Amino acid sequence: MQLTINGKNHEVDVDPETPLLWVLRDEVGLTGTKFGCGIAMCGACTVHVNGQPRRSCSLPVKLVDGDITTIEGIGTPDAMNAVQEAWVENQVAQCGFCQSGQIMTAAALLSMNPEPSDDDIDRAMSGNICRCGTYPRIRAAVHAAAAKMRGA
Amino acid sequence: MRASLIKIAAVGAFLISSPNAQEAEAPDEASGLAAWAKIYEIFSDERCASCHVADGRPMWSGEHYGGTYKHPMYVGGSPELLLGHPGLMCTTCHMAENAQKLHGPPGAEVWHLPPAEMAWWGKSSTEICEQVKDPTRNGGRTLAELQSHVAEDPLVAWGWAPGPGRKPAPYSAKETADFLVAWSASGAPCPPAD
Repeated sequence: MQLTINGKNHEVDVDPETPLLWVLRDEVGLTGTKFGCGIAMCGACTVHVNGQPRRSCSLPVKLVDGDITTIEGIGTPDAMNAVQEAWVENQVAQCGFCQSGQIMTAAALLSMNPEPSDDDIDRAMSGNICRCGTYPRIRAAVHAAAAKMRGA
Repeated sequence: MRASLIKIAAVGAFLISSPNAQEAEAPDEASGLAAWAKIYEIFSDERCASCHVADGRPMWSGEHYGGTYKHPMYVGGSPELLLGHPGLMCTTCHMAENAQKLHGPPGAEVWHLPPAEMAWWGKSSTEICEQVKDPTRNGGRTLAELQSHVAEDPLVAWGWAPGPGRKPAPYSAKETADFLVAWSASGAPCPPAD
């Protein structure tokens, strides 16, 4: 099976029912995407397929219908995406387990809505659970990332 | 071919002249209401009505939830956004097929909400009956188009194949379409309001 992940082609030999998450982590070695609940309830496993957020823990790889982007694909420690920069500057993470999913959802939101209101942010981000309760910092960082991306 | 046409014409003439056929052609309100009662049983079932809501927030209902709840995760609240919110679309979690785990996301092609004017949740038999006949509240459909929508739409079909552990809607898509045919043929009567 051919997959395009972060702009590179990968040939993987897996059961088509395998959730995309395990293909990314165990076959391709991209471990930035996390396993949380396994039933699309928490958002830790969020990646993009054709730029839209999807819960990779529940998405059988056979249903992937476009290019995949993971947290490793939107920026690197040396060249961070605006959302990742805003995350660091606002010191969003506490334990950090959920943050790759949070950042992927925030990036998808900002690609569709460059100037989100508090409510727009809450509606996009409420499918991503943070048990440390960093939601106020998440919201502040999304606003900050939006401002960066607008060049404000 | 010609013999067949003559035969059809002869049968047609017999039917037109038959007193029973004339009775059958007249709207039969009792059988229409009986067909509607079955349709209401289906449309008001939690498997159908959970998504036919007015406020853009679908319901979670069924024994496996231990009660009936609004969809969590702050989903919905904008009835005009039938595909979800930017950043959290319905298809962020709901795939083209059902998850095979009970509390995993159910799925079908193009998972989305019906428009708010098609809301059925909490409505009476009379209200839903008047609503589904009204093209301004049924997606602009004739009764014939309503039948084919029920019989053929893949998202409607999900109601009878909701995945492991979920109770399907009563009857089947085919039977529901047949009830709609019978109801329409009887003049599509609605029960009086309570």
